[in-house]
Amino acid sequence: MRAILQKAKADILSRPLISILIIITVATSSTLLTLALATLMNLSAPYDRAFDQLNGAHVWLHFDREKLVKRDVERIRALPGVVQATDLRYSVPTRVSLRDNQVAVSLRAIPPMPAEVNRLLIEEGRRPGQHQDEVLASTDIDDLFKLSVGETIRVTRADGKEVTLPVIGLAYNPMWDTYRSDQPPYAYVSEETLRELYPDESIWNWSMGLRLADPQSVDQVVKRVESTLHAEIVESYTDWRDVKQAAVFGAQINFIFLGAFGLFAILATVLVIGSSIGSIVLSQYKQIGILKTLGFTGRQILWLYLGEYLALSLIGSPVGLALGVVLSPLPLKSVAVSLNTTFQPPFSLPLVALVLSIVAGVVILATLGAAYRGARINIVRSLTLGAEAPREKPSWGFQLISKLGLPIVLAMGVNDLFAKPFRSLLTGLNLTLGVIGIVFGLTLNQTLSTYRARPALLGLVHDATVSRSEASDKETRHLLERAPDVEAFYSEAIIKGETPQGDSFHIRAVEGDLTAFPFKIQEGRLFQPHSHEAVAGRGLLDWQGLSVGDDLRVTFDERETRLATWRIVGEYPEPTNAGQMMMVSLPTAARWAGEVKPTTYFLKLAEDPNVAALKTYLKRNTGDDLNVVLTKQAIPDDVFYLQIAIFVLASILIGIALINVFNTSLLAMQERIRDIGILKTLGMTPGQVAMMGNASSAVLGLIAATLGIPLGFLMTRNLLARLSQSYGFGDVHVALSTVYVGLLIPLMVLVSIAGSAIPVRRAAKLSIVRVLREE
Amino acid sequence: MTPLVKTNGLQKIYQTGAVTCEALKGVSIDIAGGEFVTVMGHSGSGKSTLLHLIGGLDRPTSGSVEVNGQALHTMSETALARFRRQNIGFVFQFFNLIDNLTVQANVELPALLANGRDRRAIRERSRTLLERLGIAEQTEKHPWELSGGQQQRVAIARALINRPTLLLVDEPTGNLDSTSSQMVLDILSECHERGQAILMVTHDPRAAVRGEHVLFLHDGKIVEAMPGQQARAIAQRLAELG
Repeated sequence: MRAILQKAKADILSRPLISILIIITVATSSTLLTLALATLMNLSAPYDRAFDQLNGAHVWLHFDREKLVKRDVERIRALPGVVQATDLRYSVPTRVSLRDNQVAVSLRAIPPMPAEVNRLLIEEGRRPGQHQDEVLASTDIDDLFKLSVGETIRVTRADGKEVTLPVIGLAYNPMWDTYRSDQPPYAYVSEETLRELYPDESIWNWSMGLRLADPQSVDQVVKRVESTLHAEIVESYTDWRDVKQAAVFGAQINFIFLGAFGLFAILATVLVIGSSIGSIVLSQYKQIGILKTLGFTGRQILWLYLGEYLALSLIGSPVGLALGVVLSPLPLKSVAVSLNTTFQPPFSLPLVALVLSIVAGVVILATLGAAYRGARINIVRSLTLGAEAPREKPSWGFQLISKLGLPIVLAMGVNDLFAKPFRSLLTGLNLTLGVIGIVFGLTLNQTLSTYRARPALLGLVHDATVSRSEASDKETRHLLERAPDVEAFYSEAIIKGETPQGDSFHIRAVEGDLTAFPFKIQEGRLFQPHSHEAVAGRGLLDWQGLSVGDDLRVTFDERETRLATWRIVGEYPEPTNAGQMMMVSLPTAARWAGEVKPTTYFLKLAEDPNVAALKTYLKRNTGDDLNVVLTKQAIPDDVFYLQIAIFVLASILIGIALINVFNTSLLAMQERIRDIGILKTLGMTPGQVAMMGNASSAVLGLIAATLGIPLGFLMTRNLLARLSQSYGFGDVHVALSTVYVGLLIPLMVLVSIAGSAIPVRRAAKLSIVRVLREE
Repeated sequence: MTPLVKTNGLQKIYQTGAVTCEALKGVSIDIAGGEFVTVMGHSGSGKSTLLHLIGGLDRPTSGSVEVNGQALHTMSETALARFRRQNIGFVFQFFNLIDNLTVQANVELPALLANGRDRRAIRERSRTLLERLGIAEQTEKHPWELSGGQQQRVAIARALINRPTLLLVDEPTGNLDSTSSQMVLDILSECHERGQAILMVTHDPRAAVRGEHVLFLHDGKIVEAMPGQQARAIAQRLAELG
């Protein structure tokens, strides 16, 4: 045992560079692993986590204030099953001006201090001060209009005077979602400000949130409220389960991308540590032979290397873990924002234990695998040949370069790569992994950009939306037909539908030039106008257990006696309401639902449209009534945050790949130190040594890029497809720019050469006498 | 006539931490073209250091070394490398062949490094050399597939491929059995007979007596120089005495 310890200590201390490289490799891999696990941890039940931390209300009741008196609030609070409740909350639905947009919002008063129930998650900035005229905007407004803290919004007071309020923060409300809700996005002000803007309290809406003993008893509690107070006291209510479903649905693409990253990063960690340690042990087979000659048993050799690498990993992994914990807020806060949840700091005992044990486990397995092979190898063979005998035939690269009459040093550099295929495989594996990492990051970013550039893939087939409130449908159509740069449009009315089983959902009743819009029908076809055909979102099909070709019977707007049967002829990507929506022809729906007037108009604009001219045209004709929102504005910022998160994480992967290039080049050069000494004796100049080393690195980089690019793309595509399937998102349109690919190949050659620059320089400056003496 | 090798007051000091070791203490020797000189001495006497300095593998601490009229101690690394490949051939005790190249590739390597354009001529010359040294059958094998004697013959072929003016040989028989040693020494003698200048360091008297002149090195100084004939007589007498 003493001999093993002595040898292990000597190995670690006498080769400080190799020891430091192992520590750096383990540390960076541990950082990546920490980030990967922390990402997956942050992906786990984000809504539930935010809901718990914010003590979210399980049901939010919107009252008919004609039927509610303030003391009823206490009676509701005291109802069985109600654990906690908010105070009565006041709000006024209004329209505010944000830059040149008219935005429908619910202006809500919030208490100066965070409430006990249903606190807001302040993602940026702060809450409004008690006597300050300022506004805290909901993240939903930010998603639509890219609102920044410091901007202003203009509110028209009850007396008609316009007031400018600075936006002092952005907040997420765990109980707001468009899903089955008629509530517009929220903007929060102090009660004093609300009173100042709208002094007439009779126009204030009243609502309150309840936290329930049994979160599943929302419907029973609502019935209890109605039976205790008044049958129609609750105008509408928001069920936390619906919000959760919508939140999970909304974040599913983020889940897919981040989940893919997390899994890839774990795989990369395992492979990086495994291949690095494997190749280091492999380069020491001659030493293993010597140790066996001296009387070391196979078991002692295993213990020796296991001890050495575990000792080094015990230094590296806590350092990497600490670095991962320190770095994690950088990408993970963006991840949390993209998932509308609270950031979960990764420092937890389970994570620490997991990182340390995974790293130690991989180190043990990698060392045992390589050292076991070494311990079993024939002593004479290991003394003469090392880990493996050189190939008997010159490599094809060597032959090719020789035939082309290129300098022999290039041929030798290339031949070195192929001379010991197993060593090259391990070296190449590290580099290829780096390329796969880069391709993974690039593919995810490119795919996200594709979704940004082609919103139709997410089900957003239009270029802009116009919503009306006071202008009539006829007037709006008339204006849109003549509007500048509007090539086509269709109108939409949202109707509430209900199945005979009592499941209610929203139906898009549409009319207009649908053929001009690139509806992405995932299965089947689009419905025929004026028919009883419909297309449905995946969420609705799954919920109702339907397939394309099935019929669905619904009543409209609580007209329970008029049951209409719709033939589902296609499935489309419904971006909202958890996909639980259906799209039908408006004229047909109107026959069943009575008079249905559209309020939203979806526009197809000319290429490079003059949006300002369009807005001016509509404003000139209707005042501020017709509000234009560009679709690109409607793509949530989540995608942007996600890109930042993936960029940061991919950068770490690329950094690890660079360290590995350095690491493996250094090892390869060290292994070839004797050969380089001999070659210099035979007259190879330092420049030729450098050229030989660079040729090896360049070809390795070229091979890594050639293998890594398709492998990375295929792996990313399959990983995304599988995760997408498991989330029920459908096909993901994975894209990788050919420009990136074209740049990546020379870049990897340069990276590989740069990574090996120091080892190559060392080799070129190598003292021949030192090598010969060591021999 | 200008000597092929001329060293003047060669001194070499190795510094390892605080420890200083003076390996050569002002060695001055001349070797004429076509001469076969052997250097004898026990381990640590400075034989290999002298060989390394004359071969331009290392730089003297002081003194000068000229080979073929070129002052090696003033040359840059690159110029030294070029000089070596054109003028000097090396043969080592441990052969120092490149494992992942075949015998033929090993032999051709210095020629390809020097001037890789005329590959046909290089191939022809390597074939001739391998035939001359009796290893023509082994051209496609790797060094590790050969015996020690065969490997040393490959190393000699490699050293001769560029027709060097000086062959530097370091303990060529130190790693060989007696039969192989004899064969290698015969080859070196034959090279010398063809006009090849050779400087060989050895501590084997049977090898040393192959030279025309034998220099005795002790503690970094030349302590004795005698003609080969005289050395041979001494060696023969010593052998008779057992």
